Amino acid sequence: MTEYIVKENALPDFFQALANGRRLLAPQGQGENCQLAPLNGPLSLDYANTHMSPKGLFFPQTEKILAFHKLVDKPHYNVYQDLGDHSQPTVIFGIRPCDARGLAVSNRVFQNDRFTDPYWKGKYEQTVKIGLACLEPFPQCFCSAMGGGPFGENGLDVLAYPKDKGLGLKALTPVGEELLKATKAEPADLASEIKELEQKAIEAQGSLDDYKTINERQIMELYKADHWPNTAEPCLGCGVCTFFCPTCHCFDIQDESNEKGGARMRNWDTCMSPLFTVHGTGHNPRPSKTERVRQRFMHKLKYIPIKQDGVRGCTGCGRCVVMCPANIDIRSVAALMAQASA
Amino acid sequence: MGNLETITQKIRDKAKSLLSSGQAEVVIGYRQGTTPLVAAPFFARKPEDCDKLIWSSFARLNLANYLPNRKEKVALVAKGCDARSAVGQITENQFQRENLYLLGVPCTGLVDPAQVAAKEPRPIREAKETDEAITISGSGFTVDIKKEEVLRRNCRTCSHRTPTLSDELTGPEVPGAKPDDFADIQALLAKTPDERLAYFKDLIKDCLRCYACRNACPLCYCPICFVDETRPQWLGKSTDPMDTMTFHILRGLHCAGRCTACGACETACPVNIKVREFNRVLDRSVQENWSYEPGLAWEQKPPLTVYQPNDPADFIK
Repeated sequence: MTEYIVKENALPDFFQALANGRRLLAPQGQGENCQLAPLNGPLSLDYANTHMSPKGLFFPQTEKILAFHKLVDKPHYNVYQDLGDHSQPTVIFGIRPCDARGLAVSNRVFQNDRFTDPYWKGKYEQTVKIGLACLEPFPQCFCSAMGGGPFGENGLDVLAYPKDKGLGLKALTPVGEELLKATKAEPADLASEIKELEQKAIEAQGSLDDYKTINERQIMELYKADHWPNTAEPCLGCGVCTFFCPTCHCFDIQDESNEKGGARMRNWDTCMSPLFTVHGTGHNPRPSKTERVRQRFMHKLKYIPIKQDGVRGCTGCGRCVVMCPANIDIRSVAALMAQASA
Repeated sequence: MGNLETITQKIRDKAKSLLSSGQAEVVIGYRQGTTPLVAAPFFARKPEDCDKLIWSSFARLNLANYLPNRKEKVALVAKGCDARSAVGQITENQFQRENLYLLGVPCTGLVDPAQVAAKEPRPIREAKETDEAITISGSGFTVDIKKEEVLRRNCRTCSHRTPTLSDELTGPEVPGAKPDDFADIQALLAKTPDERLAYFKDLIKDCLRCYACRNACPLCYCPICFVDETRPQWLGKSTDPMDTMTFHILRGLHCAGRCTACGACETACPVNIKVREFNRVLDRSVQENWSYEPGLAWEQKPPLTVYQPNDPADFIK
């Protein structure tokens, strides 16, 4: 794979070539308004991260998947029809490495040797992902503690970083290589510079606990630890953590209809809600927030690593840390899990 | 020693003595948050836990929210609005007066992180506070900001900063702000119904329906919220704008005349919706029609839950 440079004055042409008839998304807006949106205007590389993770582009909060009508004289009366996967060829510029890693975790949930989710697959595979490395990690970031890093490559086709008001780029996959070749980016040898910048960025995150002992502990030891009631007590049960998490992928299927017809849609669900597990009988296997909060952290830090060869379901993006109204900090919970004894 | 430290020490001392004597089984207060500008809910059950308790102008959640359904004897650290919420829950039979020790904190207003970010957009790594100011710092900068410049909207118009009812105050009473004249919603009230609808639609356009506002609200204690009912299902689960609007309007109506303007809903909202706009108009109506403010007396019932022959009825046409 090759590295490339794009100089400041060549950026507009570069982005035009990137798009090449496809939808080009890049971070737009500042602070809490920052989100991936069609690039029309100057590119700003001065953002911590998008307010919400990019998962909604592949797994929308609400997605209509089937629909039916009640017009008796028209074909397919009262029969559900597939609405397709709503995908279009897309290039995303500026995904942070933590979020790309999060997408890669979800990708293994939606596409694996047992299942293929057509709605996810269509969007994921038609999207070229260009990451933007973090030269100076932000206060809430702890990607290095979770197995990623400010220059993490997992889930990306290209990794970019700001260089002399232009960009340095490293192709990571054949798709990424091909994309960059089709632009006027100049080939360059950036390996040593990238290594140096990466080292600096990791050092800037400070020495972080990697909570490694969680990996060694048995599920039941972690599950039965006595901190869970206290850990969960402040929880409001709002689910903000799950909505903002780049790897939370649980959904609920709902049918909605009126006198003209109806649709089947899937919506983001949240394990922080009692409704998530309540049975038709009224029985709820996770009756209190203690069970629900435990589930979320066990899923992120134990169950997903077991199923995904050690890769954690937390990427250290820090959104839940900042957004939780009750300040339930996954770093503190991971520390408790790392030292928990049954 | 500044006022903050004095109150913090008072809270710790009182919490220890309440727990040791068995007067309280749990003290619900605040601890230092793990991120800047945050004080987090903290539950102390042993005297040795109590040194984690603090008082801070970052204590934005309303801890009365943790009272309903709790069986223990509770000592609650409560600023003016929270104390009124707790009193409201007792008048609404959600908690037993004899199980509550209200440790009232005379409050001088809390800091709004959004206004801090507007003044200092660079990433903040640390925030310290004195009685008058906060000092925020990050990579290569340190800035002092006067608290009164970044107070939450609801704190600016709060006329009950000192808890009106409590078992004990942690410090001398503080003067309330001037009585609320609802100046901030005059422009909204002047709008036509269509313009108001457009205004509210725009207000909630980013709503994720996470219900953090509801879950942070001490008034929202229903065992099953109408949005979560499934038989029948009143509301869809998608991001349909009509469902979202229905949620906000109905929640606003459910809270009419009960809201103590604590602002916990806006604190909890992850997309910065001014949730209180829905309540402000209703609060004003209740104050005008019934001269009623919630949480000011142990025996006072919210006007919309009782009937009296001389109730205003002009609105019935």
